[in-house]
Amino acid sequence: MAAEEKRVYMLTSKGNAELTGASTSLSAADLKLLVMVDGEATVEKIAGQTKNQLSAEAVATMLRELAKKGYIADPDGTAAINVGDFFKEADLGLSSLEQKGFFVRIARRPEPRPKAEPGAKPVEKKKPVVLVVEDDPQLAKMLRTYLKMEDFEVRVAATREEINKALREPPRPDLVLLDVVLPDIDGFDVLAKLRSHEAMKSVPVIMATAKATREAVLEGLRRGADGYVTKPYDMPILMSAVKTVLGIA
Amino acid sequence: MNPLRAEFDSIIAEYRGSLPARIERLDALLAAGDIGALARELHTLAGSAGTFGLPQLGAAARAAGDLLARDPGGAQRGELERLLGALRHEACKP
Repeated sequence: MAAEEKRVYMLTSKGNAELTGASTSLSAADLKLLVMVDGEATVEKIAGQTKNQLSAEAVATMLRELAKKGYIADPDGTAAINVGDFFKEADLGLSSLEQKGFFVRIARRPEPRPKAEPGAKPVEKKKPVVLVVEDDPQLAKMLRTYLKMEDFEVRVAATREEINKALREPPRPDLVLLDVVLPDIDGFDVLAKLRSHEAMKSVPVIMATAKATREAVLEGLRRGADGYVTKPYDMPILMSAVKTVLGIA
Repeated sequence: MNPLRAEFDSIIAEYRGSLPARIERLDALLAAGDIGALARELHTLAGSAGTFGLPQLGAAARAAGDLLARDPGGAQRGELERLLGALRHEACKP
């Protein structure tokens, strides 16, 4: 059972659609489990979240059933479950990267604004904040200029310390554009840390990579990336990916 | 001139101006045998050069980086030096 408890499951696009759709065919218990997977989680972690109402064995059984139905997947492919959805998504991602230079997994829609009362003061429109993590100084400058031109507020970071500082600075970034190869930290590790951080786990992340490989896409999907763009950057393509992920395309 | 165009042109000029120092750094890393840092520098150059309108420089950096990934022990040192030579040639083009 120990290996089963450590097994990682992640939400598939079908599972995500089930959670965000207007209706569901799943039982309340299954839906609760899907919410607990919340991107990616181990059997052990989810069992802990049920506050011992369910044993790890019971959680593992229920997760296997959800995986068979395609709502979640085992990214390592070690479970006897249907992981086709996950790998299909990776293949689609790679094909999208090769064809159009970006792959966006989800488009988060901004929360609808409440209608203003007649005579109420107009609400000031906030510029979306993009954190650019890029260690090439001129490339970072180019991205900053381009994003500002598109009416984004931009922060730039290149090292672990700068990334931590930029993430702590209020307001929380609306999007992180994250280079994979950095001087003192790996971009995938930054992504993993963001996804395990309570306040940051829902911040969309687009990985910027010079390597458009299936392995890189799988790695990014497994760790919860929302999109990929390839380098060298084509600025209109990059802006399209940024706006799609932010749901403002 | 459009101020934004001028800003972009200035960043591109700055990038081109940074190339001799970048090439020097590659040479120094190769001489020091710091293959990890050399691979990172090549990767950065491969990613940035194309964005700044220098696709051939980017391709040369990518080819050298790929060679290092295949041959981290440096057995193909001659081939690596040839690729770095091509890279230097591309970087010096006006």
